[in-house]
Amino acid sequence: MLLSSWSIALLLCGLIVLFLMGLAARSAIRVLLYWDPASDSNRQIRLENEIWLTSTLVEYALGIQIISLIVFVLAADFFSQSIAGAMCATGSLLADSYGVPALVVKIVGVFFYGFWIVLHQLDIHSEKYPLVRKKYLYLLLLIPLLILDLTLEILYITGLKPDIITSCCAVVFGDTTGGGTNLIGGFSHGLSMGLFYGTAGGLLCIGLFLLKRWQRWACVLFSSGWLWFFLLSLTVVTSEFSSYIYAMPFHKCPFCILKPEYHYIGFVLYFALFLGAFFGMSGALVEPLRSVDDLESGVTGYQASAVKSSLFFLTVFVLVSSYHYWRYILIGGEG
Amino acid sequence: MLIELTRVTKIYNQGQVNEVTALKGIDLTIDDNSMTCLRGASGSGKSTLLSIIGCVFQPTSGRVTVAGKQLSRLPDRFLTLHRRKYIGFIFQTFNILPALTVQDNITLPLIPLGIAPAEMHRKAALLMERFAISHRRNFPASQISGGELQRVAIARALINDPPLILADEPTAHLDSRLSEEFMHFMKDLKSAGKTIIITSHDPLVTEHADVDRVIDIKDGRIDVA
Amino acid sequence: MNSRLTQHLNILDYALSSLWRRRAKNLSILIVFSWVIFLVASFQLVTQALTETATSVLRSTPEITVQKMSAGRQIEIPIDFSRKLAAIFGIQEIVPRVWGYYFDEVTGANYTVMGIAPGRMPLLDRLNLSLEEGGRYDQGSRGKVVIGRSIRRIMEEKGSTLLSLFRPDLSQTSFEVTGVFKPEVDILTNDLIVMNIDDARDLFAIPSSMATDLCVYVANPSEVATIARKISEALPGTRVLTRSQINRTYQVVFGWRSGFASVCLLTALTAFVILAWDKASGLSPEEKREISILKILGWETADVLAVRFWEGILVSGIAFIVGCTLAYAHVVFFNASLFKPVLIGWSVIYPEFRLVPSFRLDQFLLVFSLSVLPYLAATVIPAWRSASVPADSALSGM
Repeated sequence: MLLSSWSIALLLCGLIVLFLMGLAARSAIRVLLYWDPASDSNRQIRLENEIWLTSTLVEYALGIQIISLIVFVLAADFFSQSIAGAMCATGSLLADSYGVPALVVKIVGVFFYGFWIVLHQLDIHSEKYPLVRKKYLYLLLLIPLLILDLTLEILYITGLKPDIITSCCAVVFGDTTGGGTNLIGGFSHGLSMGLFYGTAGGLLCIGLFLLKRWQRWACVLFSSGWLWFFLLSLTVVTSEFSSYIYAMPFHKCPFCILKPEYHYIGFVLYFALFLGAFFGMSGALVEPLRSVDDLESGVTGYQASAVKSSLFFLTVFVLVSSYHYWRYILIGGEG
Repeated sequence: MLIELTRVTKIYNQGQVNEVTALKGIDLTIDDNSMTCLRGASGSGKSTLLSIIGCVFQPTSGRVTVAGKQLSRLPDRFLTLHRRKYIGFIFQTFNILPALTVQDNITLPLIPLGIAPAEMHRKAALLMERFAISHRRNFPASQISGGELQRVAIARALINDPPLILADEPTAHLDSRLSEEFMHFMKDLKSAGKTIIITSHDPLVTEHADVDRVIDIKDGRIDVA
Repeated sequence: MNSRLTQHLNILDYALSSLWRRRAKNLSILIVFSWVIFLVASFQLVTQALTETATSVLRSTPEITVQKMSAGRQIEIPIDFSRKLAAIFGIQEIVPRVWGYYFDEVTGANYTVMGIAPGRMPLLDRLNLSLEEGGRYDQGSRGKVVIGRSIRRIMEEKGSTLLSLFRPDLSQTSFEVTGVFKPEVDILTNDLIVMNIDDARDLFAIPSSMATDLCVYVANPSEVATIARKISEALPGTRVLTRSQINRTYQVVFGWRSGFASVCLLTALTAFVILAWDKASGLSPEEKREISILKILGWETADVLAVRFWEGILVSGIAFIVGCTLAYAHVVFFNASLFKPVLIGWSVIYPEFRLVPSFRLDQFLLVFSLSVLPYLAATVIPAWRSASVPADSALSGM
């Protein structure tokens, strides 16, 4: 399927990101070798200018990576038209063994690039640029991830053949008896709903507490809570909420909610979840930087706004994802 | 705004064949609310000195302290942040963008500060009133006279209400009447509490009654003779 | 208002005026960019429309089709054969089908006649859905047909209300038209006449024990290959076609065409990106002076970069809207006439069909990532170069 427009768009996005990050890496190596804040030499002036170049490059790369994540899921959905047994992205992602790893690496990549930008913003808040070396080292470490991403993507696309037979969402996520392939049937309905709303409520309480009084333990709890909530939400959206959105009890799929038939509700839902999780988790990740020279105020400022944003997106996510569920519970089915 | 320079040197292209030493160990203190003139032939280093005070670039060595804040050794970004808050520039060639209107030229320094357009226009209107260029507000800068251009340049330097005004050879392209007018404006600014530094070798400026101090620069040093 | 937001609005405003000041230079970029987006988007719309149609063709075909072969040619198959297959486990339904081509000597047109067994073919459920308002296909009642739009046009020209066809012995038979297919499915149904299987046998003079082929429906897609093998073992002398074989043939033909066209489009895109890079990196002395003035007045490198970013977004946004609108008009109103050579395979078979693309969000995103993203990536380095013009070049006498 290498020659479909979707594959070409995906590969193009991948190559652009690689190109941008490659340029950024070139600057990173120069900065790591020659950075000397005490000098006013032409080289130092050029390096200071290159900081803007790298940050712009990474910002563009992040933007394109986010778009390419969406394109990836939509492409998988498109491929399902010509794969036997696949009705949506689930089927075509499972059609060869590289689909799901490619998706996971892409999602992880988005979080990592985003965190680089957080580091960069903290760094340029301080007159000493105390994180310069750390952030460029980190940037160099992103390159292998990027190459892995592109490789998995190419392996996935080339491995797709129209005559592959795969299982789709109804089989994979459905809780009907018989199929041994059910991925997430382990939880009972009540337990997963309880966990979902319980964790969301807990996160809200810790977040509000953090905004009143900053405690390191609470911050760590908040961030790890978000990691748990992120994974939990992905399963709960798939196994519980999605069938209420589709209004079909046996249709459980994390991808079909992205389709126009469901008013693109999935985009709102996942954007809120991803942003919330990003802000929630990055709060604790920057905590160790508090002790770094001159960064205290920057870190405090970032953490406060990160907690606020994550609570905002948490609320949006919970409201949007449970809307159909509660409507069903309160009003009943169609009508 | 008290400015202190301690053993400030500036070497361009250090370590290369075209290495030029522009400043050689300048020690200088400039008082708050004063008008100072830096005098010297072209190539003497006075513009470099002005640029270092104006946070356009860093000295190679030495210390620059403005209002108690150490400015040397700051990354470029923080020099810019300092410059846009505290310093107004007036240039020899005025550096007005000819395609923009008078008003847009004056509000240029406010754009990156995130000030609402209405507020920008209000500030600009006050200054245009003060310098009698309100009737030119929507004219492209390419269509106004030299005297008006000069007043646009001053208005733009004042739009942030900076405590320090730096003027680089401001009268070089002006006739004597406009030079007089320029010095008149500077006198008003000084009485409004601003600190003013002008580079010039124009007697009209250097011998002006309101200039508190003339510093001679020669070959990158302060000439005390 | 939030000051960062105001800052960006101010910078956006400045970017707009800056674009306007250099309108000659930007207009040429805009025109070329719109053209490239127009090509990419038209191509995408056409392939999208064709793929959707082809997919629905495949969806309505049975999992397995059994045909009898003799001397390498397809001949009629006895319906009895289906009894021999009944023993194969996993087969849901076996339905005989009669189809063929009918040459209308009066108009010189070729029709496709499809006779289907009433009430037994899953296809029928879909049939009523693809009929125009008011039309209905009566399952099982003889003498009634549904037809494609070009056949109705011919009937209207002749002014007849009944569809009259001739049997091989030149005796005439007439059908009442109960429905006409929607234009959306023209590519499939333009020349199609759907009737009762017995009517079709009567028309083509086929004995009632025979059919053109047998459609085998299978419940579980993963068993198709096994069942197909068993069928060909049970019925020597038949050809067993599975849907995925047809699909693969289609993929090869269609994939090659669209891939070839994509490569051509990519070449155009590359040329454009080089042009964009070139235009963006040519920094005139005036632009250089403008940037150094801005910087000495307190603009950060990041602010100038933001101006360049907004300029890029504005140019590509306008080009995107213009290009997509033109592409839609091109495909819907002009039948994608620019792509006729690429689509020649279809236009020969179906000389007159309307493409009705559904322009969905994912199509926009696809075109966006094939055009706007490369442009933005190509302009980022030149943008940074221009933003890193030092402030001190605005000063005199250094």
